[in-house]
Amino acid sequence: MSDFRALRAKIAAIEAGARAESESLPFGDGAIDACLPGGGLPLGRWHEIGGAGMEVETAAAPTAFTALLAAPLTRRGEVVWVLRRDDLCAAGLLGLGFPPERLIQVCARDEAEALSVMEDALATVGVAAVVGEVEACDLTAGRRLQLACEKRGATGFLIRRRPYGGSARREATGSAAATRWRVASAPSEPPAGEFGLGAPRFTVELERCRGGRTGAWLLEASQAFSGAHDLEMTDVAHPLRLVADLGDRQLAPAQPFRRVA
Amino acid sequence: MRAVRRVSAVSLEAARLGLNVGQKATDALALVPDLVTAEAEPEADAAALTALADWCVRFSPAVAVDAPDGLFLDITGVDHLWNGEAALLADLRARLAANGLPFRCAIADTPGAAWALAHFAQDGAIAPPGGQGGLLAPLPPAALRLPPETWAQVERLGLRQVGQLMSIPRGPFARRFGRAAMTRLDQALGREREALTFRRPPNPWFARLAFAEPISAPEDMARVTTDVAAKLCARLETEGQGARRFEICFHRVDGKALPLEIGLALPGRDPARIAKLFAPKLETVDPGFGIEVVTLAGHAVEPISGRQARLDKAREATVEEGLAPLVDRLTNRLGEDRVWRAAPVESHVPELAQRRARPLAPPSEARAWDREVPRPTRLFRRPEPLEAVMAITPDDPPSQFRWRGQVHRVRRAEGPERIGEEWWKGAIEDVRTDHVRDYYRVEDEAGARFWLFRSGLYGDAQTPPKWWLHGLFG
Repeated sequence: MSDFRALRAKIAAIEAGARAESESLPFGDGAIDACLPGGGLPLGRWHEIGGAGMEVETAAAPTAFTALLAAPLTRRGEVVWVLRRDDLCAAGLLGLGFPPERLIQVCARDEAEALSVMEDALATVGVAAVVGEVEACDLTAGRRLQLACEKRGATGFLIRRRPYGGSARREATGSAAATRWRVASAPSEPPAGEFGLGAPRFTVELERCRGGRTGAWLLEASQAFSGAHDLEMTDVAHPLRLVADLGDRQLAPAQPFRRVA
Repeated sequence: MRAVRRVSAVSLEAARLGLNVGQKATDALALVPDLVTAEAEPEADAAALTALADWCVRFSPAVAVDAPDGLFLDITGVDHLWNGEAALLADLRARLAANGLPFRCAIADTPGAAWALAHFAQDGAIAPPGGQGGLLAPLPPAALRLPPETWAQVERLGLRQVGQLMSIPRGPFARRFGRAAMTRLDQALGREREALTFRRPPNPWFARLAFAEPISAPEDMARVTTDVAAKLCARLETEGQGARRFEICFHRVDGKALPLEIGLALPGRDPARIAKLFAPKLETVDPGFGIEVVTLAGHAVEPISGRQARLDKAREATVEEGLAPLVDRLTNRLGEDRVWRAAPVESHVPELAQRRARPLAPPSEARAWDREVPRPTRLFRRPEPLEAVMAITPDDPPSQFRWRGQVHRVRRAEGPERIGEEWWKGAIEDVRTDHVRDYYRVEDEAGARFWLFRSGLYGDAQTPPKWWLHGLFG
């Protein structure tokens, strides 16, 4: 196994070219981390997160997933969130474990402006991550984002969103993103004997991953809306827990997976 | 009663022919049959006076409009830029004359004395410091801006000069003419302060550069921006201050003043940075035939300490070098309302529970949001109506609803969380039961989580309850 890892590191080094050795943020679960180069979400790169169906306009599940991904980065610096439509609810992000006091929101007037603000923010000292809500990102814009990421090692998250509806645009073919995710909400499972909704669950598909493998999982934000104790989380662990591996594109197990209390 | 048309202003020539303000228009036409008249336009006059006040900012940042036809300029501490009051007045007179404006002006210690001298003394009078009393004495009592009821009294007593009024002892004066008249006399003589409403608040943080030759080339404008910023910032630095907003004003040869403004997230005094923020806006300035004066004013000035960068952690960037310039760039490019940090507001009503705070402002005193109360990630500005809502019993969460043409079957639901309106803020008569909202968190069969509410209570015949979608959890 260690040979594999060494080989993978070597390939990554070749791919990275002159780029400095980049850090990564492990999910803390072997099944996911094994698919990602360097054993975690690569930092200093940008990641594309999309939804399907009505989520293309509302982008609620991708937003929640992005907030969960970016939450550990808030201890390194500020997070700049570039919006096109001002409907982000900071109280909701706090519930997911994302501290809103580290969040600066910027409302851009159009797509080009959103991309250029992202670029500007990524290249700024003191900014750990930049989230942008953009409809499509072509190859040139993607490369520019990548260059901006490399300047300071900030991580970009690009949420594919058509903020005011309208007809679907053709998906961009090429992309400079390090990873591409497709996120959808999944039915939650409350603990046995409890009413209401369980912790939010997401069907997360890693559609594309540079230097890694694709995969699909059912993840649960088990700490959501549950008090302050997980603010003590370490730098490595994401507030996401693997519920089931959907790698073979099967549906969730027929027998609902019960959370161990 | 029929409205009488009266003369509201006369030209110099008309005045020589014996016409005066307040005369009936028919009388005036009878006296001078070939009189040319024009309708009075008070609004246009006021606008022109305001424009003139803006123009006068080149002489002093503190200009007060004295309607309908006067301006007060506070030239305290400004006259040395012209080498004295006389030179300043001469410059003002030359420029007003060049613009073809009829005018009278005077300089005195107090606004009241200056007004009196400008209206009744020789044009261009300059009262020596503390010496306005002697100049005022021979003027008619009208120079004191007396209230109309006092005016009749003064006439009746046959007082013809301010000097006679000044010689009356204070007690009898106040009894005979009233307190208002006493105040006016005291204001003219500097025994009492007079509050002027300056069009711009007097600002000591003001720098000015005048050019021998008017400039118009873009690179020159960029250079003078840096120069005037350096001039102001040097003063800010010696006093340990920094400003949050800077307003640069280009004064054109033809008398137009073109202002530009930038804001900083943290108070600053770095001329290069300020000039850089102005740079993209300079091209919107049309220099016309040239710019002869540039002024820069710093607003929201507050002390800043020259904080030392941290020695222990060389890698960790300070806010001043990273975030503050970014916020400045973004706010100046996109507008101040487009860059913000969400801050909590202590309110139960979800759409009122957050406000936009300045990105680098210190955290607010308000209690933070409760982590354990689920709130959506996307909160709609306006709740969207739900159709075809089905519930098992009236007080249950819906088992099915249609939103944007799509039917969602509810699999799990949680609630209600009842949120009432803030009845203590408005009139008690406006409080209605249909303003009560019962919020439910529901999950449909696909797993999408919604935040919806029913407004109003069941059993209310007049306003049946309605269902709305307020946000999405994702």
